[in-house]
Amino acid sequence: MSTDNAPSAEVLDGMEDFVAEVRAFLEAHTTRLPVDDGAVEWGRGEDSIAYFPDDPPDVDERKVTAAREWQKTRYDNGFGWITGPAEYGGRGLTSVHDMVYDGLEAEYDVPDTGVLSLIGLGMIGPTILAHGTPEIKRRHLPALYSGQSIACQLFSEPAAGSDLASLETKAVRDGDEWVLTGQKVWTSVARHAQLGMALTRTDPDKPKHRGITAFLVDMSAPGVDVRPLRQMSGGSEFNEVFLDDVRVPDDHRLGEVDGGWTVALTTLMNERASVGGEGAGPAGKAVSVGFLAALMREFGQADDAALRRRLGELHADQAATAYLNRQSVRRMRAGVQPGPEASVSKLMYGQNLTRGAHFAAEVLGPRLAADTGAWGAYSWNELLLATPALRILGGTEEIMKNILAERVLGLPKEPGIDTGTPFRELRRSHQGGTP
Amino acid sequence: MSETAGQSELDDLRGSVRDFLSAKSGEEQVRRVMESETGYDEAVWAQMADQLGLQQLVFPEEHGGYGFGFAELSVVLQEMGRALLPSPFLSSVVLAGSALLAADDAAAAAAHLPGIASGKTTATLAVAGESGSWDPTALPVVGTRADDGWRLGGATWFVLDGATADLLLVAAATDAGPSLFAVSGTAAGLTRTALRTLDPTRRQARLDLDGVVGTPVGALGGAAPVLDRVLDLAMTALAAEQVGGARACLEASAAYARDRVQFGRPIGTFQAVKHKCADMLVRVQLADAAAQEAADAAAGLPGRAPLAEAAAVAHAVCSESYVFAAAENIQVHGGIGFTWEHPAHLYFRRAKSSQLLFGGPAGYFGRVLDRAGV
Repeated sequence: MSTDNAPSAEVLDGMEDFVAEVRAFLEAHTTRLPVDDGAVEWGRGEDSIAYFPDDPPDVDERKVTAAREWQKTRYDNGFGWITGPAEYGGRGLTSVHDMVYDGLEAEYDVPDTGVLSLIGLGMIGPTILAHGTPEIKRRHLPALYSGQSIACQLFSEPAAGSDLASLETKAVRDGDEWVLTGQKVWTSVARHAQLGMALTRTDPDKPKHRGITAFLVDMSAPGVDVRPLRQMSGGSEFNEVFLDDVRVPDDHRLGEVDGGWTVALTTLMNERASVGGEGAGPAGKAVSVGFLAALMREFGQADDAALRRRLGELHADQAATAYLNRQSVRRMRAGVQPGPEASVSKLMYGQNLTRGAHFAAEVLGPRLAADTGAWGAYSWNELLLATPALRILGGTEEIMKNILAERVLGLPKEPGIDTGTPFRELRRSHQGGTP
Repeated sequence: MSETAGQSELDDLRGSVRDFLSAKSGEEQVRRVMESETGYDEAVWAQMADQLGLQQLVFPEEHGGYGFGFAELSVVLQEMGRALLPSPFLSSVVLAGSALLAADDAAAAAAHLPGIASGKTTATLAVAGESGSWDPTALPVVGTRADDGWRLGGATWFVLDGATADLLLVAAATDAGPSLFAVSGTAAGLTRTALRTLDPTRRQARLDLDGVVGTPVGALGGAAPVLDRVLDLAMTALAAEQVGGARACLEASAAYARDRVQFGRPIGTFQAVKHKCADMLVRVQLADAAAQEAADAAAGLPGRAPLAEAAAVAHAVCSESYVFAAAENIQVHGGIGFTWEHPAHLYFRRAKSSQLLFGGPAGYFGRVLDRAGV
């Protein structure tokens, strides 16, 4: 129940025609999955619970192709961009329609389109829609939402993490063009991307938020070099992107010169809105109470009172988090803008998965530390080694807490010199820790 | 069967309850009442019924109530929790009222509910023995048949407002199984002892019964499902009260962190303090969601978790969250928060005491798993 992400009867109410249309489309183009009754079948199939996929290049490439093709099929049938305006290939419907579509599609066997949707469709598309010129919108939005173009986010830098506005990648004007130089990091899907949204420093003499400009960069342009970044979990989900005298035409600029921070905020707001969905995916299933209870049974600890107590604590928070998420969906449907619950959900999501992985480790004991070959044992390392990232990516816990305290509780900001001082004069950290 | 109010009606209800309680049960009144003999202000109790109809709210119209549901009740309880109102509302309206409705006994309901709904009668429910357990197979009171009816014997503990209630609903073991009995507060053979309590704003008592006359309520041997139902509703109601109290702690901390200056700046600018407040906010939001889900489930709204699951989750999450918020509130306030004069300890006492009402962490985390089928 608590991990059920099918739309409730209440959400579907009044959407009968749309539901029928979506069903007809899905039935015509794909097949229905067997109903997931939440029962745990121990020992069957793959026991992978990878949070960050680590596929060999050929498999990875196949998955991306399948994702593009499915997105094209959605787009050609009017479901590629349900909330988007019609003139750019959208359907002009509400976020509730979007939600209903996602819920129905989850019942069918379709390719995972995360490589397109998480960054490009979820964050950069809405940013282009809000800040792009009509020409930029015409050029990029249909390409993005039809799966032709994959977009990545060239935001974080080695010296600009939580403090994104201290970024240093330079953009210097040269006639009708700009020349970009610098290094970006933690760039998801950069290897597959045709388009990058880059934040650059265009005026270091202004305070840090006021000298930033956003550009859309052709990822195949000379001087763009994408290098995989190997994470602590072993795989390379993220990349470093080096920009070396990359020339970008001025009409690829997004928003005003030195007005890039406003543009970036649109992207970041959409990032926070897209985090959630705890029940989804192999990791969410693995930390569900049913699966963890099966793990206890399988490894002979079903009656361990201390473990049961910890599982009860974890499940209470998981269930409450699921209630919170469902209630915010209901409120959105009633037209109420998302409140602080979005950040609360994100914090709880990271903590619940982390607690789940450490709980499993305690049940497994030495079978987690060394591979005995037992099904569903050593594979927990895939999730365990990913969990630190869940409390960092998309805003560290510390930053999320600052936001909650300042925006919801009205606590004052820490006094700082960094918002009024010219960027050039600020102390900055550099790779290797030299100030 | 119950009417459902829209959000603006609920906001209006919250506003009028808050206004009433700030006028009648501000901190000064709470402190006066908590030192009193009965532990509640009978005049305020009567006004709650006569002016606002709070006791009537959830009872069916045939029993003198307004027929509203858990949405309205939750709002009222949140406000009572926020104000730390000392009153027999939880014991009389929620525990005894739910038991009378759940027992499916038209005569008992007709005899007792109109009095409870009008506030003229206060009632409570006595279940636990000295261990605090609500296990219907281990009841501390035994009922035996006599020529002229039923006689009850034994000692029952932790009875909310048990020293003052006019009507006691006592769960007793009988040869037919666990059964519920109505006992008059002035019955012969009944000794009521007020217990010293951690939380001075909610009274508890021990009842010693020695051949006390009891009238069966509901089917003989049928008390187990009644107690299950009452416990679900009581956990749901308590969760709403806990959310109100926890939010009051959060707001007090945030206000203090904004105003209190040390080292030349408001202490809320320091992340150590700021993050404490954010952590409280996270727990309060989570508690609010859990309490809301349980209240919606109790109101029978579609698309929610089953009541048994949501009530157990709400009781665990709201208990933990309130204790956390009440404890952190003292830390944010520092020394002033540790004084008797500051209200922080009153919330801490209420939070800790409420957490332990129905078995405490040892019971509620297990219940969460049981109800998830694990």
